[in-house]
Amino acid sequence: MKRRELIQHLALITGAALSPSVVQAMINGIDGRINIQNPTLNETQRATCSVLAEMIIPRTDTPGAIDAGVPHFIELMVSDWYTNTERTIFLEGLATLNSYCLKEHGSPFLTCSQEDQIAALTHMEVLASGYKSKLSAMPFAKEVDEHVPFFGKLKELTVIGYYTSEVGAKQELIYQPMPMEYRDIEFREVGRQWSS
Amino acid sequence: MSATQTQDFDAIVVGSGISGGWAAKELTEKGLKVLVLERGAPIRHGLDYKGEHMPPWKIPYAGKPLRELYKEEYPIQSKVYAFNETTRHFFNNDKNNPYVYNPSKPFNWKRADVLGGRSLLWGRQVYRWSDLDFEANKRDGHGIDWPIRYKDIAPWYSYVEKFAGVSGEKLNLPHLPDGEFQKPMNLNAVERTAKERIEKQYPGRVMTIGRAAVQTEPKNGRGACHYCGPCERGCSAGAYFSSLSSTLPAAEKTGNLTIRADSVVENLEYDKASGKVSAVNVIDANTKERIRFTGKLVFLCASTIASTQILLNSTSEHFPNGLANRSGVLGRYLMDHTSEVGSFGVIPGFMDKYTIGNRPNGIYIPRFRNLPGQDESVDFIRGYGIQGGSMRMNWAQMHHQISGFGARFKQALRAPGPWVFFMAGFGEHLPDKNSRMMLSHTKRDRFGIPQVEFDSAFGDNEERMRKDILEQTAAMLKAAGARNVMSFDGNSPPGGAIHEMGTARMGEDPTQSVLNRWNQAHDIPNLFVTDGSCMTSSSCVNPSLTYMALTARAADYAVTQLRAGKI
Repeated sequence: MKRRELIQHLALITGAALSPSVVQAMINGIDGRINIQNPTLNETQRATCSVLAEMIIPRTDTPGAIDAGVPHFIELMVSDWYTNTERTIFLEGLATLNSYCLKEHGSPFLTCSQEDQIAALTHMEVLASGYKSKLSAMPFAKEVDEHVPFFGKLKELTVIGYYTSEVGAKQELIYQPMPMEYRDIEFREVGRQWSS
Repeated sequence: MSATQTQDFDAIVVGSGISGGWAAKELTEKGLKVLVLERGAPIRHGLDYKGEHMPPWKIPYAGKPLRELYKEEYPIQSKVYAFNETTRHFFNNDKNNPYVYNPSKPFNWKRADVLGGRSLLWGRQVYRWSDLDFEANKRDGHGIDWPIRYKDIAPWYSYVEKFAGVSGEKLNLPHLPDGEFQKPMNLNAVERTAKERIEKQYPGRVMTIGRAAVQTEPKNGRGACHYCGPCERGCSAGAYFSSLSSTLPAAEKTGNLTIRADSVVENLEYDKASGKVSAVNVIDANTKERIRFTGKLVFLCASTIASTQILLNSTSEHFPNGLANRSGVLGRYLMDHTSEVGSFGVIPGFMDKYTIGNRPNGIYIPRFRNLPGQDESVDFIRGYGIQGGSMRMNWAQMHHQISGFGARFKQALRAPGPWVFFMAGFGEHLPDKNSRMMLSHTKRDRFGIPQVEFDSAFGDNEERMRKDILEQTAAMLKAAGARNVMSFDGNSPPGGAIHEMGTARMGEDPTQSVLNRWNQAHDIPNLFVTDGSCMTSSSCVNPSLTYMALTARAADYAVTQLRAGKI
């Protein structure tokens, strides 16, 4: 069994809520710099996605989602790669997030305090937590679950956009495309996982 | 449409994959002027591996929904694990080159459509057959006896292994003969521990590193593996064996090779007077021009399905049911391996261990069922081998498991996850007359060639074997210390393993087989078929090495016969 094949199988181990489509896109690789063909986000949605992406993967001792160009990637995927069903769930999720902020905090998401934004995103995670995919969790299944809730979609796009970016791959993880050998090492020798 | 021109060669090789590349090399090195016909596009070694070493942030995303594209144009090929945007340019476009797909009884025909064929995309696992395999049909009565035994092919295995560059570990097992190995790739710490535990609990079972046509030493003018990982994107170092890196350059070096890509073979012409194939009729894939090529020898190496398609489409007064089909078995006894069945689990501990490099190989557990001298009672005949491996989960596999977001989430993804061990079985598929391919009476492709239809399914023996694979992989993983062991059966139909074999089988009896012991058509001395279609049974090991050896052996015989005036 080859490593990449194994990766595909293992990617699917993580259970029913996983979206193989995004795993496939991850394995295929995505160029965050390519132009968006059919931009679907308005300014508010675009700004909201940026804040959300940075909330999921913030700048710490290494660059964060915004540094890595993840907002562009999210917009690219939502605009050009998502199916209509997926796009609808995503955009409705943004709307739900905003309504929640208006109701609970009296202000749209973007102008909420950082604390209230965290509460709102946590609320979206709770909303998504009961979701069970109806699709097969078989390791070889290539079916796509379009119905993953907003939080799962947002988090998946952020994670994939970040770790496949040059910044995420090289500065947060270690990128070594020509390792020249395969052998055991002690984890402490590298301290991070490979992105390559 | 009439033939516009005729060109003459000493030998014509149809197909440029693993078998065709070997035929080209052997025949040109013996001094013959050889034409290789390839239906796919011409691509160049290295220069046209556009996905090779492409970092994730540079891999082009087309900007449009791939799922729609794949569904529309690659519904079959997109099932292949190696199919993605870094490799799609090597694969067949199912819309342009369709076959008759029956969803209620599917056969997945996975094909390349470039020079080099599937040798660019293959899994590179190479195992010798043994007499356990060559005698299997005779022993249990399924299929007909092979006309050869291990001793007939053993020197040819050595011959092709040395050139192909095979890494592996010698085991001294009679049912999995050792080969000419470069140094084996490494097992990792978890795999070594699993090996120890499994071999202790199951005396007689062995775990080893896969035997792979991936060089671990620079040899044959080609480099050693640099462990970048995704071989299927192409390897300009030539570390893994492909026609483009290995056999075709060797053939080219002789000055005797002509390659013609974009050349779809429609059929072969049979000359009643001489009793030989007199011409190969080609349609240019771009211009649709028809061209007729003549040669003293014809080697069909177009792949199991495609070679038999050509033979079935080559009818004449003398062979109304397809060329070399006096027996009526052409297209029948189609086999694959059972696949996509196995188990996986998490191996606790070893969190201080990690690996460097992307090993294009895994573990192998050779067949341990129904070996000579075993008195165990399993409810199936023949056996299976197990492939797999262990690795730590990465961010892409882990992030769904980690709740929350923010700095803690990011930190949690910085280290790799637990070790997961994966095992899948490849099981022998019994030869069955009713498992077959044929030509459609109604559907033709864009060249006017009848499309292929399939009527093939795994049988009861394969079903029972699958159950045993599920049980045994789970039990061995538990013995290895795995937790949360889960078994899976993807119910992959024939074609799923991409090990399709048979349809023009070898045999001693011309009334029951298409080819003799030299891969030569019983009735047509200048016609040789040396790809997977020649196989009389399927063994449980990956078949490509056997195609290489049979091809080199057949080429040697053909040229000897030609020189002796017997062809």
